[in-house]
Amino acid sequence: MNRALNSTYWLLSGLMSRVASAAALFFLLTLVSAALLVDVLPIDPFAQRLVDALKGPSATNWFGTDELGRDIFARVVYGARTSLSTAGAAVIIAAALGIPIGLVAGFFGGWRDTVLMRFIDVLLALPAILFAMALIAVLGRSQMAAVIAVGITGIPNFARITRARVLSLRKRDFVTAVEAFGGSSGYNMFRTILPNSWSPILVQVVVLCSVAILLEAALAFLGVGVAPPTPSWGEMLRTGKSYLYEAPYYAVLPGVVLTFTILSFDVIGRALATLLEDRHDASGAEIERTTP
Amino acid sequence: MKNAFLRPIRLLGVLLAVAAAPAFLAAMPARAQAEQLQGGTLRVAVLADMTNFDPMQFSTVNFPLIKNLYDSLIEYTPEGEAVASLATAWTVADDNMSVSVTLRDDVKFHSGAALTSADVAATLAKAADPEKGKNVYATMAIVKDWVTPDDRTVVINFKAPTPDRQMLDLLQFVMPIEAAGIDTVETVPAGTGPYTFDSRAVGQSIVLKANADYWREGEPTIGELRFTIFSDDASASAALESGGMDMVYGGTARSAVRLKDAGYQLIRGPGPLVQVFRINATQAPFDNAKFRQAFNYLLDREGILRVGYAGLGQPVALPWAPAGPAFDSSYTENYAFNLDKARELIAESGLSQAEMEDWKLLVYSTDAASVTISQIVQAALADLDVNIELDLREGSEYVEAQLSGDYKATFGGVGNIQKFPSRVATNSIYRTANNPVLKDPHPFPDYVAAIERVNTTLGSVEEVKAAYDNLNKVLVESSFAIPTNSYDIGLIVASPKLSGFTLDIDNLLVARTIGFKE
Repeated sequence: MNRALNSTYWLLSGLMSRVASAAALFFLLTLVSAALLVDVLPIDPFAQRLVDALKGPSATNWFGTDELGRDIFARVVYGARTSLSTAGAAVIIAAALGIPIGLVAGFFGGWRDTVLMRFIDVLLALPAILFAMALIAVLGRSQMAAVIAVGITGIPNFARITRARVLSLRKRDFVTAVEAFGGSSGYNMFRTILPNSWSPILVQVVVLCSVAILLEAALAFLGVGVAPPTPSWGEMLRTGKSYLYEAPYYAVLPGVVLTFTILSFDVIGRALATLLEDRHDASGAEIERTTP
Repeated sequence: MKNAFLRPIRLLGVLLAVAAAPAFLAAMPARAQAEQLQGGTLRVAVLADMTNFDPMQFSTVNFPLIKNLYDSLIEYTPEGEAVASLATAWTVADDNMSVSVTLRDDVKFHSGAALTSADVAATLAKAADPEKGKNVYATMAIVKDWVTPDDRTVVINFKAPTPDRQMLDLLQFVMPIEAAGIDTVETVPAGTGPYTFDSRAVGQSIVLKANADYWREGEPTIGELRFTIFSDDASASAALESGGMDMVYGGTARSAVRLKDAGYQLIRGPGPLVQVFRINATQAPFDNAKFRQAFNYLLDREGILRVGYAGLGQPVALPWAPAGPAFDSSYTENYAFNLDKARELIAESGLSQAEMEDWKLLVYSTDAASVTISQIVQAALADLDVNIELDLREGSEYVEAQLSGDYKATFGGVGNIQKFPSRVATNSIYRTANNPVLKDPHPFPDYVAAIERVNTTLGSVEEVKAAYDNLNKVLVESSFAIPTNSYDIGLIVASPKLSGFTLDIDNLLVARTIGFKE
């Protein structure tokens, strides 16, 4: 527990020590807080005031109003909940399926590796957006469908990264030592190798978050995301583009928030990769975490 | 002193005359202006590819082509007056049981064959075929049979005494197809229209060329008509503004208003559609009359018109255009947006909360206006503590659901609202038989009887009005379809260099008189 807390503290300190990653972290924390607290904030993303449709930014409506007179700022904040929850759930699905696949493929090799990685190749061969749209066509249009679609398209990333990491650790002494002491394959995979593979996986989680947010927005932009009136950044971009002449802020401001969110995830992902790489280089390996 | 006083007044008069000259010129007869128009290539931006060349398939995507490839037997002026076209004369029998139509003798099809009564007879046979008649089939319901005494004459017999206006509507709806080309008309146009088909790149463009043998003297003005298909309204508007297109046909009202403000010509036809909230009254909770009637009051017609259609149209509570013979503005006033009244009716319905919320509003997600106005209804219901979801469907998925009646409620436009009132029954939700939504037997016999009464009332003005009033009353009480507003279809936004527009009663594109100003 202490080790986990220490690692978290170390990571946060590392991120806060860099201006770019500190700013990105601050932005994301603000966004997550707003998304969590949107129900108690004095804003209503659903309230229509048709007489106030397409009004520009003002003290009352910071981001202006949409075609139904709804507050765009409130909808952007609520849209953060949609995007982040979709991305979070999708990453969980991708990790929950991709990591075990990568572990098994890398650990056992042979026919298991061949079968599993060809399956992953098939998933990789499918364009993510096309696959997600086909899946939504079958499952119907809902946030859950978007989560599943985005989650499945993320499986190959986790599987390949985990497999690569397992292959590099599989023949290391601490792994063979566990086997020599009679540790089962399951024990070795999940208690010996996996704890030493978290670094690239953690970076992948952050990177996939930005990819998932972008994919969810793309699906909504194409009209197969969450159904109105639930706010979604992609849906706002889709509708807002029709009003680019009359109300440019309608599409631009949600687009800016979407851009900064993805940028923040990417900056943090890069910072994490650098931090963990430095740590890895300093310690030679993370084998001290092994518990045979 | 007197001259000194008058001099500035004379000067002012001269200045006013100079200033008024453009307005005077603009008010000159259209014919005079048309004579100065130049030909060339007219580049028209449209937002969807055509489906086929059959003039009986009145899908909006075919609107740009139909009146350029075909001619009607008669035409209506924008004021609704019947004028000759392929038919030079039409004589209604004294008993209103038949109409004799005389055809022009100088009309040729694009193939070079002359138009004869046999072609009209073949066209009527197609129209009367339930499989091939498409949108004209319902109009043929009043027709018993037809005969062709000679090459120039067609006599159409009706099943019962038929009002003159209903006969004229039929003649205006019939566009003769060459008999030899009837079976292949979906892929090969076979009309007499001012343009002939030249080429098509599916999903990209369609090119028509001027018909050298066209029977209207001096028409068409434009030598080549080139349609370019754009994927969205904004791109089409941008192409017009950049000079890449001369005209946008069928764009959104919002873009049209913006372009008009930017100096482009906005031409609105006399044939709007009416947006109708269609209700499947055979299914719960809409089998409850009070629940249905509540929607007469909870639809914010003014808001729907303003937000969905940029204010281009009028709020209506009946499925008629304001110029339609059965239109009654008092209904719009009596059924204005009133959430308290809607709440009362919902309470009187006796439905439980779960029953009231056990449905989804089907939405045509490709149509931005439908998505927007559906959310207005959703919000109004939420104000009454009735929370429903939207069921958004794309293209063919939506059309299939709408035409098969697989929905509880949805918005959809209806046409023919400026013609004889019973023509409303050509729209699927208003059909009195074979209704895909309400099925057979029709669950509202009063409505069927009201349509029948309109069809058979040939008496005095008062009697006719009484029949119309009865139909209006039944429509509102049955509430299986609740109109919200009229709106423009086939809007034309054109470059200022174009002139000579001819307005079609159904808002189809008529390009034969359009030309470039010198």
